[in-house]
Amino acid sequence: MKTATPDQIELRIPRRAEFVRVARMAACAIAAQLEFTYDVMKDIELAVGEACANAVEHVADVACEDILVRFSVEPAQLAIEVVDRGQGFDPARSQDQEDDWGRPGGLGLVVIGEVMDDLEVSCDPETGTCVRMVKYRAGE
Amino acid sequence: MSAQLKIDSRVEGEGLAVLALTGEVDVANATQVREAGLKLISDGVRHLVVDLSQTEYIDTSGLGTLVGLQKRIRESGGEVLLAALQPRVRRPFEITGLTNVFRLYDDVGSALEELRS
Repeated sequence: MKTATPDQIELRIPRRAEFVRVARMAACAIAAQLEFTYDVMKDIELAVGEACANAVEHVADVACEDILVRFSVEPAQLAIEVVDRGQGFDPARSQDQEDDWGRPGGLGLVVIGEVMDDLEVSCDPETGTCVRMVKYRAGE
Repeated sequence: MSAQLKIDSRVEGEGLAVLALTGEVDVANATQVREAGLKLISDGVRHLVVDLSQTEYIDTSGLGTLVGLQKRIRESGGEVLLAALQPRVRRPFEITGLTNVFRLYDDVGSALEELRS
């Protein structure tokens, strides 16, 4: 039974669109360090980018000033949590909904769910929103 | 600091233009793509080929922007076509099913040829 505490890397970025790229770059670096394949690394980058973009675009609470991205490295998996302290977005937001410019909504979570092995979204008025996603490591 | 994106547009004939996106299209700069597309439409472009041959990354903000342009240009009887999607750019389109919203071409020349035929 594996009981080792996971290695954790935490990144806190301002909740602004231009900093989402920083989180993506960190995700790429960590995935490369863990020797994920190039395609999986780019999938992880995409998932982290989408989760952070959700936090930037769909969190109405202006008091929420930053986003925490926590990478937990375990022998069998890489778990990533993207946490904001805002009041959260509706994870059930329909893909059929559109914004006022005709852009489809809810696509970010669709992408994350497809490229990652596990996805959980929790929204709490007190603690904010946490998008937790997991990628299993090959051979584990 | 912003994601690196270079937007080039060129008119290829009456009502026809190419919009080339070089670099990364994400939540930080998708609005620039929207504005560039809307300017072309307001200038009279009715058929727009988006050249993605040099696009290294696109997220759903970018996808949504292209869908918005498609809807806007269809209101005037036109169409947005996508050309030269690299595998990493094609992936989010396929995951979201948005490949059904656009006609896709291997290169810009093929898309232009289709529009002129």
